[in-house]
Order: sequence, then structure tokens, then C-alpha cells
Amino acid sequence: MTGTTRLLLTLTALTGFGLQGQDLTAVSGANCTFKQNPAKFQGQTQRAIKAIGAQLSALDKSRNTMKISSLSVLDPATVPHANFIDDQIFPAMSAAGVQSAPISGDEEFFRRINLDLTGRIPAPADILTFEADTTPNKRAILIDTLLSSSAFVDKWTMWLGDILENNAAAVAINRNVNGRNAFYQYIYNAVAGNESFKEMAYEVVTATGNNYDSPSAAGFIINGYQPGGPVQDTFDMSLVKTAQAFLGLDHYDCLLCHDGRGHLDALSLWAGQTTRSQAEEMAAFFSRVNRPGYTYPSGTPAATQTADFYYQSYIISDNTTGTYGLPTTYGNRPNRALIGTLTAAPPTYRTGQTPGSAAWRAQFATMMVNDPMFSINFANRLWKAMFNLGQVDTVDTLDPLRLDPNNPPPAPWTFQAFNPALLSQLADTFVRSNYDLRNMLRFIANSSAYQLSSEYPGGTWSDTNSGLFARHYPRRLMGEEVHDAIATATGVWAKYTPRGFNNTVLYGMQMPDTSEPSSNTNNANTFMNYFLRGNRDNIPRATDPTILQSGALMNDTFMNTKFHMTQSPNLQAIAKLTTPAAQVQQLYLTYLGRMPSTAENTAAVAYLSTGTTTTAKNAAMEDLAWSLINKLEFVFSY
Amino acid sequence: MKDQFGNDVNRPVGSRFWKRPITNRRMFFRHAASAVGGYMLLPSLQQKAKAQAAMMPVGTAKNVIFILMTGAPSHVDTFDLKVGPWTPSFMAPNTFNGLAFPQGLMPNLANTIGDLALVRSVRAHATAHSLAQSWVQMGRNPIQGLNTIAPHIGSVVSLELGDPNATLPPFISLNAASGPGNGFLPPTDAPFYVSPGGTGLPNTTAADGQAAYNRRYGLMTQLDSDMINNQPLGDGPAELEVFREKANAMMYNPAISTIFTFDQPTKNTYGNNSFGNACITARNLLRANNGARFIQISFGSWDHHGNIYAPNTNLQLMAKEFDAGVAALIQDMKNDGTFANTMIVAFGEFGRTVGALNQNAGRDHLVQQSALFTGAQIQGGRAIGVTNANGDDVTDPGWSQERYIWPEDIEATIYSALGIDWTKVIHGPELGIGFFYVPQLDPVQYFPVNELWGS
Repeated sequence: MTGTTRLLLTLTALTGFGLQGQDLTAVSGANCTFKQNPAKFQGQTQRAIKAIGAQLSALDKSRNTMKISSLSVLDPATVPHANFIDDQIFPAMSAAGVQSAPISGDEEFFRRINLDLTGRIPAPADILTFEADTTPNKRAILIDTLLSSSAFVDKWTMWLGDILENNAAAVAINRNVNGRNAFYQYIYNAVAGNESFKEMAYEVVTATGNNYDSPSAAGFIINGYQPGGPVQDTFDMSLVKTAQAFLGLDHYDCLLCHDGRGHLDALSLWAGQTTRSQAEEMAAFFSRVNRPGYTYPSGTPAATQTADFYYQSYIISDNTTGTYGLPTTYGNRPNRALIGTLTAAPPTYRTGQTPGSAAWRAQFATMMVNDPMFSINFANRLWKAMFNLGQVDTVDTLDPLRLDPNNPPPAPWTFQAFNPALLSQLADTFVRSNYDLRNMLRFIANSSAYQLSSEYPGGTWSDTNSGLFARHYPRRLMGEEVHDAIATATGVWAKYTPRGFNNTVLYGMQMPDTSEPSSNTNNANTFMNYFLRGNRDNIPRATDPTILQSGALMNDTFMNTKFHMTQSPNLQAIAKLTTPAAQVQQLYLTYLGRMPSTAENTAAVAYLSTGTTTTAKNAAMEDLAWSLINKLEFVFSY
Repeated sequence: MKDQFGNDVNRPVGSRFWKRPITNRRMFFRHAASAVGGYMLLPSLQQKAKAQAAMMPVGTAKNVIFILMTGAPSHVDTFDLKVGPWTPSFMAPNTFNGLAFPQGLMPNLANTIGDLALVRSVRAHATAHSLAQSWVQMGRNPIQGLNTIAPHIGSVVSLELGDPNATLPPFISLNAASGPGNGFLPPTDAPFYVSPGGTGLPNTTAADGQAAYNRRYGLMTQLDSDMINNQPLGDGPAELEVFREKANAMMYNPAISTIFTFDQPTKNTYGNNSFGNACITARNLLRANNGARFIQISFGSWDHHGNIYAPNTNLQLMAKEFDAGVAALIQDMKNDGTFANTMIVAFGEFGRTVGALNQNAGRDHLVQQSALFTGAQIQGGRAIGVTNANGDDVTDPGWSQERYIWPEDIEATIYSALGIDWTKVIHGPELGIGFFYVPQLDPVQYFPVNELWGS
């Protein structure tokens, strides 16, 4: 379903239970969003914690914990502090009387940091080199190396693309392939060039021009369009998208239908006090955006139009006049009333500032990047990306009135972040470093807190301690990472041409959105989607396990020949190793990024030794490779 | 008199007899997303007593087949037929004991009209596809508070009735690949997506053969079992290996193959298309009686904004496929003995405009809609609810609550049919104030349509 002609709301045709002439079917934000992001309610954090707990338990069963039997949980006061993050994390553990996991061993750390920063599993030679390296600050050097890699750019372009919701087709609007690629190029350049997030955010919010002219940041504001209603619905959606991505304030979607009072009182101190008028006044900053579609001279044949590069593009600009008119009497949101006697919502930022010029969108962007919530939002998102549990989880439900460590909220409210002082310092660091993505990740990755093991040997773990981050939490790999891990481990690569690309790509992480490869070469698209990539629109990316994933890892056409001796150069090289023990070790390093345990080694070596013919030996090795892909830990970063 | 929200509490709402004046408390919950203690202020005692008196689930169904007619079918051309100058001849409208039905459009279903209950007083809350499709599948507003990732009705059924020892997951979703899922319920209640082609279930055979598969699976479990189990989290957390075990149980399983493998003659009987194949699969799932309890079939698109009556396409084609598949399914289920204990419900996410066609010779979105119910000892051959002459509003709701039937009421009906207490609320720290199987904080008290069974 595309285009604006499809969504013809017929609320005006409704009769019935009219309260003040408005049908009950239109209340409560009927159709105020197409999004299904989990958000804004008390149980969400608990669910995130519960999911992490389940994963920890399962991983503990799947991995051999005796590998680090020489390690055990630590007194947090004994853990060395690398930076300000540790200065907050470990004293909090001590105060709570909770022990710290040991620092991860090199093997655990090396695989994790590679996956977390670049989305790729490491090569066996690199693992061994790193372990043998005696340089005291080798981890810091490794982190810097990974931060400056091209794989880093791919992964964090995907991360930012998720936040900015870049896709070719969405429910409300289509960027099409040309628009998606132009926006992808912009995002890629921003990450590759380490552009300040302050600059990037400003550019994205204020972008003008034809959204097909690559690179184009206008791909973001495109998404604000809301069909099926008056133009105020688009002003509202523009604010919703902007506030969610850049300020972590998802509640604007609710507030643009109704006051917070009576609805959000138990969910957010700030939102519960914010009125619909105030939300409209924020949205008013977007009332001068001009976004006509690209048109052709009348008489241009349809075939000529559809063949033209700019077909269905949009040309974004700003008017010097225009307002958020009131009232409205139809559309996706409940009727909007006058604000007092005002027939337009005066643009007023949530902090009370009003625009200093007629360029309202630019004024908004400036206020937005200077809003404390801007840096808190990204600090929290980056924390979550690496620690797998946000300081505030979920990340787009921030409550501005419960975050300041120097300003505790009134009882019964509590601080929203697990460690308010830490989140505040993370945000400050982000600001002072000029909103530098790599710098933040450098701080995070170098902290002892990040480098803790995910195992908790000798200690008793409880979910209630989750906010202390006393051990590293595992995460299920993204579909793109699973695809890339299988290709890397087997050494079997397919070439994909995402739509509109002149070059081929090898990695799932190089796809410009989650609909690629649309040709489904090698069943790669179907395979990755078993891992719930979502569509960057109404279906968010998810990390649930499913039966279909297990079935796919066992049998799917994407991988069911890759581990064959005849196909896999890696397996062929391993087969040339002289002893089964060497082969087992190399297989484990290749697929799981670690050495086998004693027990695993015994069983695997025995398995490889039973065959006498080359055929039998090859088959045994294939079996072992398959088994390693299907071990639970293969699809985790821990 | 106006309350604190500026609403006039004394003005009777509408002129129709079933729209009683709404109290002040109802005004407060007009925008029903309040997550703070609102449940303390439940509807009036009279309403509550009335609800409690009939709180017994009907319990005639062991399984449900939920046919989602995506894109929203025109109700006045299908289950609530209205004839006018626009009616094309292929509709061949007829009445069966006073029940109007397009015999030409859906002849096979017309033949079995005695089994079908056509519910005509159904309404949608909104007429946007994505929102309304989520709404009918979750049985609640998808964008309120706790609801943003509320589970699919099928996942709740899975939670209540699922058998962890059965081979098949309790909730199977045919011809879809995504949508509302288990939400915050455990992943074991997620829909299992299959688009059946009749050649078996994908990824249940290994390209290298069964011997190789068994060998490898054995090796993998051996490598795992030699490890020392350490459970620092204690017992209780979900076993993530269960998904691998479930997948393994489906491998080379003749029972699974039987369900998902069918021949061309069977396909032809069911219309020889993907909808028909899904109906065959549903029939087979019920025959197998091996875990599947809630089977969804997504079938669309019915979004006929233009050229709705174009011959052999659009409405006529969709209805032909629907007719062939559902009628064949009913027939086979009767022969299998599964018809009497399976409820089939078919509806879209809203209805379409009525009367003369629009300027594109089509119909646009409308909140008025219908639903088809059959099976599970539902009394067929009749309609519940009566609409006005052109079909855009209800003149007689035809049921105990004397108002429109909302998707939440259909949800309650499904739970009731399955013997599930639709008033249940489940708690847990991760559920906030609690998860209501059927929402209870809306101005309207939802209720099953027991009239389907003649009461």
C-alpha cells in the first residue's frame, strides 16, 4: 500500500456516540502512530532484565565455565579503575554489597569487542596473537584499531540507520531505493568521518533539497509525513520522529493526542505534567517545512516519469511563513481545540524558548542539540549498545524530571537511571568531546566495567542486581552479524548487489536497510530475517529466540553447504593440519573464537579420530563445524 | 455541567436507546490509557453484576482458526449484502430464510449457509490498515500504555492452552511473516510462521540427509553434555535451548510431513492457491492434534479502492478463493469431526464505504464492518445485528450489550469459546499494573457475543 490516496479516513462520515460532536472511535489517539516500539510503562525495564537473566543462565549452561576456574568473583573495591565510568560503577557495587565478576580473559574480551565494535567475529590468528601479546595496554590499542576500521563504519551506520529509520518503503511514506541510498550515503559519511553528532543531528533535522541527491540528510524529515489527515498531523509526526530519535522522548506521540494528566501520570513525571498544547507548540516548529513531491511538466507520459531518476522524490525547503493552525476537525488525531483564544500554536520549545527568527526548523534544531536531553539520549543509547542494558531501558522513554542526580524527584518517584550520576557524566563527556561517537565508545570499551566477564564464578547472581552491571550481559547477535559470522567462519562468501548500488557487498552489515538483499541471493534475506531484523518502521528490530531460527541454523539453504569441505576454504585449510587436536583447536577458534575446554577437546578429538579414510575424516570435520554453528553461544556476543 | 476535562456529563449521548448517558467516571476514562490505579474505578455495580452473571466461558471450542482478511473486505458485498444499482450480475444476490448473501460471488459458502453466522454490528476503532490490523490481532488499542507490545490473541491462547510437550507450537500463523507476536509473553508463545506450499515444512530436512543430521545433532549434544553445568542464576529462567529442541523434534518427523505435504488434487479442491493451501494446512493441523490450538490465516488484499467489481479480479477473485477454501475446509472438518470443536472466525480490520462506488469505481475505508463465525456448535444460517438500508450504521446490535461489537468483544468471544476466562488479569513485576486478557479500562465493558450459540 503506497501513496496518499489510500488512507482516506472517513471520520466525518461517522455518526454515533458523539461527545462534543466527536465520535468515541476517534479518542485516545486512534491512529496517532504506526509504530509498535515498546515504550513508556513500568514493566519494560523488568522485562529487559528478565530476558538478560534467561540468556545468562542459558549461556552458562552452554559454555564451559571451568575454563576460567582460576578466576572468581571479586571484591569491587579491588578492581582497577580505568576512567570515570569505573569511578561510578564499582563503588555502587561495594555500597550494595554485591561482588564483581572478574575481568574477562583475553579470549572472552577479544571476541566480544570485535563483535560489539565491528559486528564481526575475529580470525584465529588474531586471537592467538592478541593472547600472546604482552604489551600492557594492548586492549586499549585494540580498541583504537577497531574504532578506526571500515567494519566499524558498517556496523555503526547500521546502528544509526535503525535510529533514523532509513528504509525504502514505509507505511506512511516511501523513500524508494534512490532516497534510501542517498540517506544511507549521508549516514555512512557521517560515521566514517566521525562527524560530531551535534552537527549530524542539526543537518538531519534541517535538511533541504531533493532527497534523492546523494548524500542527502533529507531522508529523515521525509519520515515525518503523515497521510490521511490535515497538515498538522505531519507537523506532529515530524516532532514525534525527531523527539524520539534525538531526545529519547517517545511520549510526545501520546501527548499530541491528549494531555499527560490522566494518562501518563504513572509512567513519566515530566509527561504526566505536559499538556497537549505544549506538545503542539513543540510541533509548531515544523509548520514551515515545505515538502512537495517532484513533479513533471503536464503532458509528460507516465512511462517517462517512472523511468526518471527523480520519480517520487521530494524537495524539502522551508517557508518563511506558516503556522500550526487551530482548530482541526478531522484526521489521525483527536480534534485539536484552540489554545485559549489562539488560532495557531505558537512555537515554544519544551524549555520555554521561542524562535529568534522566522527559520523555525533551524531554530528548533539549535535548541534541540543544546537540550540536555540530546546528550543524555545518545549517552544512554551508546551505553545500551555496549552494555546491553540501558542506564534507562527502554531508551526512548526518558523522563527529564527524573534524571538529574542533583535533583531527586519527589516521592514516590525514584531516579529513572540505574546510576544517575554515571548517566549524567556520560552525557557531559559526550558534550565536552564535541559529541564524538568514537570517543564515547573508547571510554566505554576501556572501562573495567565493560571488560568484566559475563561469567560470575563462585558468586550467586540475582536479577535485582542488574542495575549494578556487576557482570557483562550477553546479547543475541543481529541477523546481519549471524550471516557475517557464518560467512567468516566458513570462508564462503556470496556477493550481493543491494538495489541501486553500483558495487557488490559481502557483509550483511553493509546492507543499506533491512530489506536487502532484495534479490534474496543465497536465501540471505530470508535467513537474516529469521533473526528479526524488523523493517525500521512499524516492526522494530527484536532479539527474541524462535524455533525458526534454530531450524534455519540447522538446515537453511543459506548455510547448508557452506561448511562442506568442497565449499569451505577454511575447512580445507584446517583439514591440512597434522593432528586432530590441532584441527579441533582451529575449528573452535574459527567458529567460536575460543579454545575448546578439556572435555570438549576430548570428545571432539575422539570424534575426528574415528574415521580412517579421507572421506570419513572430512565428514567428521563437517559434522563438527555444523555442531559449532549450532551451539548456543554462536549467536551470542558475551 | 462540565467536568474537569470540559466534557458535558449530563448530555445524553446520542438518541439511540442503547446509548445511555455516560457517567463522570466514564468521562475520566474516555481516553483509556490510564495506568494508575484506574482499575479501582470499574464500571457501575449494575454493569459489573450483569457482566459477572454471565462470566462463564462457553467452552465449545478446542481450537480456533482466525482468518484475517487483510486490506479490509467490503462488508456490503460479502457478509452484509446490500443490493443496489451498482450491484454487478456476478453477485447473484439471494436470500436464505431472510439472510441476504451473494450466492453468485460465493456459491460454495451459500451452499453451507446453514453453518454460517454473519455478525453485522461490528465496528472498527480506526480505519488505518496497520493500526487496525494490529488492533484486531491484539484485541486492544496497540498504542496505549502497556499495549505497545501486547501479545497477539493467539499468544494468549498459547499461554493458556499450550502444551509444552506437543510437537507443534500452539500458535501457528499461515501466510504471514511478521506482525503482532508474543509481545511480553514468553517466546514460546510466539507465532510460528509458515507459508505452506504442500511440499513439507521448510528446514525440517537436512540437505545432507537424515543420517548426517542425526549424527551431527548427537555430536552437538555430546559436546554440550560434557560441560559442567553451572547455574549461577538458580533454576527458573527460560530454557533457551528449548527452541533448538523444538526444531529438532520437527526434523524428519512423519507427523509434521503429513501436515505440510499435500497433493495437487487436494490443492485443486481448495482452489489451488496460497489461501487454499493454508486452509488445507489448517485442516491437517487439526487432524494431527499435536499442539496447534490457534491457527491464523492471513489472506489479502481486500483493499479495493478502485475497480472493485472488475471481472475475475479484485473482489470477485478474492471472494472466489475465499469461498473455495473456506467451504472445502468446513466440509473436511465435518468429516474429520473437528468442525464441532473448532471455531472459525473471518473478518478484516474494518469495512468499506457503502452505496454507489467512489470515483475510481471502488470503495474506501469505513468503520462499519462484519464478521463471519462458524464451527464450535455456533448456530448458523442467521445474522446477528442489523444495519441500516445502506449498511454504514447499525439499527439493531442484536446482542446482550446492545451496542457495536468491537474487536475486543470478538477477542472475548474467542477466549470464551475456548473456555478461557476472558476477564483474567495476570500480574508480574514485568507487567506493570497487570495484563488484562480483554481490556477493562475502556469506557465500554467488553463481552463475548454469546448469541452466536443462541443465547
